[in-house]
Amino acid sequence: MELMQVEGVSKFYQDGRVPAALRDVSFNVHEKDFVGVVGPSGCGKSTLLRILAGLESPSSGRVWFHGREVSAPQARISMVFQSCALFPWRTVVQNIEYGLELRKVPKAQRREIALGLVRLVGLAGFEDAYPKRLSGGMKQRVGIARALAVDPEIVLMDEAFSSVDEYTAEVLRGEVTDIWKETGKTFMLVTHNLGEAIQLAERVVVLSSRPGHVKSLLDIDLPRPRDPEDPDFVRLHKELFALLKEELETSIVRHRLRRVRELQELSDLERT
Amino acid sequence: MRRRPLRGQFPTKVLLVRLTPLKDVKDRLLCLLPLTVILSGWELLSASGIVRAELVPPPSKVLMTLTSQLSTASFVLMVLRSFSNLTLGILLALFMAAPLAIWAGLKRQVDSTITPSIMLAGSLPDLALLPLLMMWFGEGSLAAILMAGVCAFFPIYFTTREGVRSIPTEYFQVSTIFHSGRFDFVQKLILPAIVPQAITGLRLAFDFVWEVILAIEIIARVAGIGSFINMSVERQTVDAAFAGIFAIGILSIIVDRCFFGFLEERVKRWA
Repeated sequence: MELMQVEGVSKFYQDGRVPAALRDVSFNVHEKDFVGVVGPSGCGKSTLLRILAGLESPSSGRVWFHGREVSAPQARISMVFQSCALFPWRTVVQNIEYGLELRKVPKAQRREIALGLVRLVGLAGFEDAYPKRLSGGMKQRVGIARALAVDPEIVLMDEAFSSVDEYTAEVLRGEVTDIWKETGKTFMLVTHNLGEAIQLAERVVVLSSRPGHVKSLLDIDLPRPRDPEDPDFVRLHKELFALLKEELETSIVRHRLRRVRELQELSDLERT
Repeated sequence: MRRRPLRGQFPTKVLLVRLTPLKDVKDRLLCLLPLTVILSGWELLSASGIVRAELVPPPSKVLMTLTSQLSTASFVLMVLRSFSNLTLGILLALFMAAPLAIWAGLKRQVDSTITPSIMLAGSLPDLALLPLLMMWFGEGSLAAILMAGVCAFFPIYFTTREGVRSIPTEYFQVSTIFHSGRFDFVQKLILPAIVPQAITGLRLAFDFVWEVILAIEIIARVAGIGSFINMSVERQTVDAAFAGIFAIGILSIIVDRCFFGFLEERVKRWA
């Protein structure tokens, strides 16, 4: 069943000079899906995620969640931030409990949920630690636990592994795959790391350079756990890389063309 | 959930811990050296009659006067009166400045509307208002409290505003994602986030307002420890004047260590 439908979403800004962030983006997300979103930097993939989360509204187009339009944050859509965004004045457990607290879940119950999640993300023993005592990887585990605490149907992750070192990121990816399988929730991950997308996702949405639109939709039907040295994995990686390289080149060409046009306009001005 | 900012160590424990950590007793003792030198030099000068004891009484005499004064109700009441004027003034300023500062910190438009005027008002010498306040509100504690409030307003406003402005955007997104209501937004995000800056603001206000309160009491003769010092000098009981000054010093140290020190220790756990 379709959980989320993205329908012709565009995003442009009031000041006309900046090129639009997104142009006519459409794709569907079904239940228990794991969608990776990749694209050249600045293509608006994080903007897309914020629109899906209801944090920003699209300039045109719509996002449907369970057949209802998303115009504000939804109770069952949760998010993991690149910077973790843990509240430093709250302990690990208190950070995880935050969403439940706002939903007026009784204290005993939310503590139970939080402690369960602490164990799930492997932070037992750090329940009462403040974020400043945690490493980057541990912080992101708390961020994931906080997102899961409110029992969402879909978890949106914005470059969730790019603020930690590569080894920790590798471990976290494995854990997220396990969580995805165990909880049966839907995940969407925005990333610039192609290998990461192939390793985690069931499907990968490839966005073009700014303004981003869906250039390609790739199904990743490799058996799990996925081995980056598997020939199929390598083939997909090459395929994705070729797609992005093309985009990067067009964006450079476009950029040069713009410069040329600007120079042209300048010389026109001088002549008149 | 009730917030529990003050749970944990009892304030006096903080005082003791901060004053006597056993590992660097030596350093602590060393810092007492200049004080000892000054006090003993002063004692010698006074006792030997090089300086007239009526003008500069020896510290031993001041100490004796202080202990005897501390057991008289009128002296203690004077000190308490100054202290309550100071505290009420700061609280008044806090209740006026903090909501405004939070509002300005959150909304750019509000900030650009009100902050320039507040900056302008803050750059005026605050004490110049005193004669007017005394004309409007009488020459008693009320004028002193209002004066203290005016002086404390600016440091509290600017530090709190800065605190709100330095909250990362993602924190707001987190609170939006989880459907924070307006009340929870202030209680669970804004207030805890600005605690460090608010403490700085209160501390600045506290130091500044002490001076202002004393000036008011000395110049305008509003009842309090300042007017006590003034009267003692006029009555040529200089030892009592010094006792008043020492009492202020001791009270400031206690507030600094117990109240602000305690709050800072709490904040240091996470900040």
